[in-house]
Amino acid sequence: MEVEIKVNGEDWALSVAPADVLLDVLREQVGTKSPKIGCERGDCGSCTILMDGRTVRSCLVLAVEAERHEITTVEGISFEGLSPLQDVFLSSNAFQCGFCAPGIVLSATELLEQNPDPSRHDVQEALAGNLCRCTGYEPIIEAVLEAAKGGSA
Amino acid sequence: MTTTYPFDAESKDDELKSVGTPAVRIDGLEKISGAAEFVDDIDFGPGLLHAAIVESPHAFARILSIDTTAAEQAKGVVKVVTGKDFPYKFGMYMEDRYIFAQDHVRFAGEQVAGVIARSHREAVQAAALIEVDYEVLEPLLDPKEAFAEEADLIHPDLGDYTHVPWFFPKADTNIAHWRKIRKGDTEKAFAEADFVLEDTYRVPRYAHCAIEPHVTVSKLDHADRLTVWTASQSPHTQRHLFAEALAPLGFTHKDVRVITPYIGGGFGGKAGVSMEIMGAAMATLVKGRPVKVRWTREQEFYNTYQRQGVIAELKVGVMNDGTITAVQHRLYWDAGAYVEYGANVVNAAGLSATGPYRVPNITNDSLCMYTNLPPGGPYRGFGYSEFHFGLESHMDRIAEAIGMDAVEFRRKNAIVEGDELSYGAHMNPSGLIEAIDKTAAAIDWGVEETSDNPDTVIGKGMALFWKAPAMPPNASSASFLKFNEDGSINITVSGMELGQGYLTVMAQIASEVLTVPVDKIRVETPDTDRNPYEWQTVASHVTWSSGLAVQKAAIEAREKIFDVIHQVYGYEDDSLYLENETVRCKTDPEFVKPLREFVIDGIQTEEGTWRGGPIIASGKFMPEFTNANSDPETGQGGHPNVHYTVGATGVVLEIDKDTGRVWVRKAALAVDAGRAINPDLVKGQIVGGLVQGLATVLYEDMRFDEGGKMMNPNFTDYKIPTAFDIPDEIIPIIVEVPQPDGPFGARGVGEHTMIAAAPVIANAVYNALGTRIKSMPVTQEKIAMAFREQQT
Amino acid sequence: MIAKEFDYQRPATLEEATAILVAHPGETTRILAGGTDLVAWLRDDAVAPDLVVDIKDIPDLRDIRMEGDTLHLGSLTTFTDLIESDIVEEHAPLLIEMASTVASAGIRNRATMVGNICSAVPSCDAGPVLLALDTTVHLAGPGGARSVHIDDWFVGLRQTALTDDEVVTHVTIKLQEHGGAYVKLMRYAGEDLAQAAVGIVVYPDHDYRVAFGAVAPTPIRSARIEEALAGKPLDESLIAEVVGMVPDEISPITDMRATAEYRTHMCQVMLKRGLEAAVQRLAGIGPAYETRLI
Repeated sequence: MEVEIKVNGEDWALSVAPADVLLDVLREQVGTKSPKIGCERGDCGSCTILMDGRTVRSCLVLAVEAERHEITTVEGISFEGLSPLQDVFLSSNAFQCGFCAPGIVLSATELLEQNPDPSRHDVQEALAGNLCRCTGYEPIIEAVLEAAKGGSA
Repeated sequence: MTTTYPFDAESKDDELKSVGTPAVRIDGLEKISGAAEFVDDIDFGPGLLHAAIVESPHAFARILSIDTTAAEQAKGVVKVVTGKDFPYKFGMYMEDRYIFAQDHVRFAGEQVAGVIARSHREAVQAAALIEVDYEVLEPLLDPKEAFAEEADLIHPDLGDYTHVPWFFPKADTNIAHWRKIRKGDTEKAFAEADFVLEDTYRVPRYAHCAIEPHVTVSKLDHADRLTVWTASQSPHTQRHLFAEALAPLGFTHKDVRVITPYIGGGFGGKAGVSMEIMGAAMATLVKGRPVKVRWTREQEFYNTYQRQGVIAELKVGVMNDGTITAVQHRLYWDAGAYVEYGANVVNAAGLSATGPYRVPNITNDSLCMYTNLPPGGPYRGFGYSEFHFGLESHMDRIAEAIGMDAVEFRRKNAIVEGDELSYGAHMNPSGLIEAIDKTAAAIDWGVEETSDNPDTVIGKGMALFWKAPAMPPNASSASFLKFNEDGSINITVSGMELGQGYLTVMAQIASEVLTVPVDKIRVETPDTDRNPYEWQTVASHVTWSSGLAVQKAAIEAREKIFDVIHQVYGYEDDSLYLENETVRCKTDPEFVKPLREFVIDGIQTEEGTWRGGPIIASGKFMPEFTNANSDPETGQGGHPNVHYTVGATGVVLEIDKDTGRVWVRKAALAVDAGRAINPDLVKGQIVGGLVQGLATVLYEDMRFDEGGKMMNPNFTDYKIPTAFDIPDEIIPIIVEVPQPDGPFGARGVGEHTMIAAAPVIANAVYNALGTRIKSMPVTQEKIAMAFREQQT
Repeated sequence: MIAKEFDYQRPATLEEATAILVAHPGETTRILAGGTDLVAWLRDDAVAPDLVVDIKDIPDLRDIRMEGDTLHLGSLTTFTDLIESDIVEEHAPLLIEMASTVASAGIRNRATMVGNICSAVPSCDAGPVLLALDTTVHLAGPGGARSVHIDDWFVGLRQTALTDDEVVTHVTIKLQEHGGAYVKLMRYAGEDLAQAAVGIVVYPDHDYRVAFGAVAPTPIRSARIEEALAGKPLDESLIAEVVGMVPDEISPITDMRATAEYRTHMCQVMLKRGLEAAVQRLAGIGPAYETRLI
């Protein structure tokens, strides 16, 4: 099937099978590698993308479902330099292996768009679907709260 | 008596500029921008092939036949392989594995065949067409049953297996290795003890759960060079094992190249060689085409290394004054179907199963039992987390029984520098007492707290930990360092950036010696053709070992820099020093020579000729005081461990009496880092390791059915912590009693931070409810049901 | 990666959708809404349809509105839609308490509440709450529209009253002043399937609704407990009486997630705490919705 998808502001016309999941198509056909393959069943959040501004698991979306939707990955929010949120993540050494980072950056970005003044619980809620095995989350939560204090993401 | 160390690392405590600072990670920008490239992110072009693996559904069976006809004819299929294609053994410390199963399968999920196809989907579809006939055998799933004299043999040829000299397999049994320690007279000590406590503790298997699954891409090019891009902690060890296993095909080490970009977490699971060898082998049959094998999350659970389960029978004797006089620790390890790596976990635990205590009489038996469960192997903590659960639970129980405060009891027996270790060598300098005191203070030990909520109660717990790197006695590290035209530096090493911050720490060490700022130093991830040797990034040893190699390279570069200056300007080397990327002279305060002016092009002499040239240097480190030659019956005589890192963990928790739910309100963890090269990164290890450890005790649990098949190979039912599942407050405490031979005094801390998490929870649960849980995990269900039973 | 291939259609109208379903009857066709169950099952090879019918292009299925005293929720309403809806917050905060326990934000942005009761796994979070709220499920089929009371919706393990050629269009809930509670047993604080769950609604004059999740092949309502409570103010002895009835009302299993004994014990604890909270909330004094009661 032919589908048209906008990825990071760019229009793509792609030929996909109905059984192709969006995650694989983004990685293999669009070349957008920041959404990662972690569990392929919606449990880990590594494949998180923004679809029309909201986080979704790209492993649980068929590529054909993304037709006429706008996809944003972490590459797309870094075009004009790092976001204030990314700046704090960087300066506070918030991540370790970094595999979960693209998904967490997007989940936190969505949170700060929806709720510029989140509580610690709100941050935990927003990040609870993004598994990180390295950090124990504490530095990530702290960084999101700090970014929120510093203004919008 | 203390160990003397041949290499006295330089340490100028008061003048440190880079070491000891919370430098921003040099890999930080790549990781938060999406730029960081992991193996699965590398493009290999349209020629890339994909492999799917056919696995045994049975835990123990004889393979009668494999019919690959239909798969070979399926759409997109390029090649189908079975064990017959690769009748080669391999293994890290003991060669007990084959690349694909030969005549038997020994765990559910074991690889039986592989399909290589043009697309992943076609490979998986064709793999489903392969028919394997099995004669199903009765699996052995329990290590004590495997130990029984009448047990069936999982490896009847055990007596013929090649292994390292410090393993003692027992032919015609399921005992793959038996580490014994016999010190003093345990029987006599028990007879004379005022109090003896004996009990059994059980620890199940656990999964690493790196978020990045194992993935490998292998290519044999038309010039017969085999390159393997792999998510591994062990590039050189992998190259070595690939070259050795595939030697019958004509490979030598120079023909095999392993490239390891960033990896998405390791925790031991990506050490050694597991699934990667299938990719390397399969690629040899499709010359010119790269082959990708990417593990699914399910395979990640059931066909990579797992943390081994253990049944720990512990007996400890004490005097009324609280002095521990004897420890007898018998550990039955459920090591799984292949123990090529896991047997060394068993060995390490056996050497140290007294915990961080001064014990004059010791009987340790650490038994590596083959079972029909997936292969055991390295996992952060390397056996220590497992035996600390029982040991540190036991210490609390003994203290209570003799009427002594649990912290005071531990303090009294805590091992200190010079104390004799179980194998006869002596303890290194350590800040254990300081760690105990600071941890106890952080949780207000001794101050009883009550809850305002009638449904909940509050408890406190403490536990100590220690761990030594478990390595071959000659495990070594090396580094290359080169200057660039602008005075910036590239360093190549072969330790892996697992997330712990290794690259940054190496940069800080070089920065300290050469005064070049960290952001002008690039440290590259390994490529075995280009980067110098590193044994593996495991054992919490690379800050120490690779750090020493980098420090030596930096010192060598500095000597070369001074040599050029001496040649041109005549200043004596010992009058020269570096400051802010310049060479200065103590005897001539006016002299300033920026590094960028000469580290590539050299310095022109008065007569117009040039001296110097590119500054390049190398460094290597191998511990020269270790040896693994000890008496197999007593364990005495060797010096198998380089040093121990010690510390303490304390928690304050709140428990709902009805539901059993536990909230960790406060957790404190003190670890003796010797010297925190980067305190931010040490704190990262404390917080991350502690949360990982708390998960193993509170809810993580690998479950197997009666046939030995894992029931929860996914995050739906193998729960790892989310952002909600962390203590309300974590207090990281860094103790710094320098390691005499460490780079600026540093020693490793990465694994240690999770070791005491399990017993500290068990102890705090007891403190809160009076309920002692002796099997992990200590789930809310177990707590609620045990408390309920206790009430009736 | 989904190994088995299938066809995909995206009808633009309800009529088109039912026509496709009529033309492709049986287990070989699956309706796709949020996809958070279906795509995972496709990937796991747990279902293997020949055709997937995506209903997300059908207009008007994502409405949230009040029609008099009745809350209308379109079948494409996601859990996030519920959480972010002012209408739901004002009229049925119990739905938000339930929705906020479902998986995680990235799932809730896609997953629909109706999809949850169509998947109809025993642990579906919406089940106990929609049972306690006397929800009506509205369907469209080749013969036109029909409605099914939620009590008749769950007919067996992963089975509902929905026939192969029907699509759920919306659910309606007739609302009046009430207090509610959804209490969910999870293995930890993070995302988890319910190991057991209790949904409770209390109306004025001591009129109670009680339903359980994950302790029977389907979410179940307990008429006996409701009768025992009916007309009586909640006090300790009444709580003890109904808590004592729990073991006879549920039929939990032991599996790797929890033992039957713990599930039963926890249903008793959750019923007690849920009743107390619901009654307090009705009186306007209870713990705020979304406060975790266990």
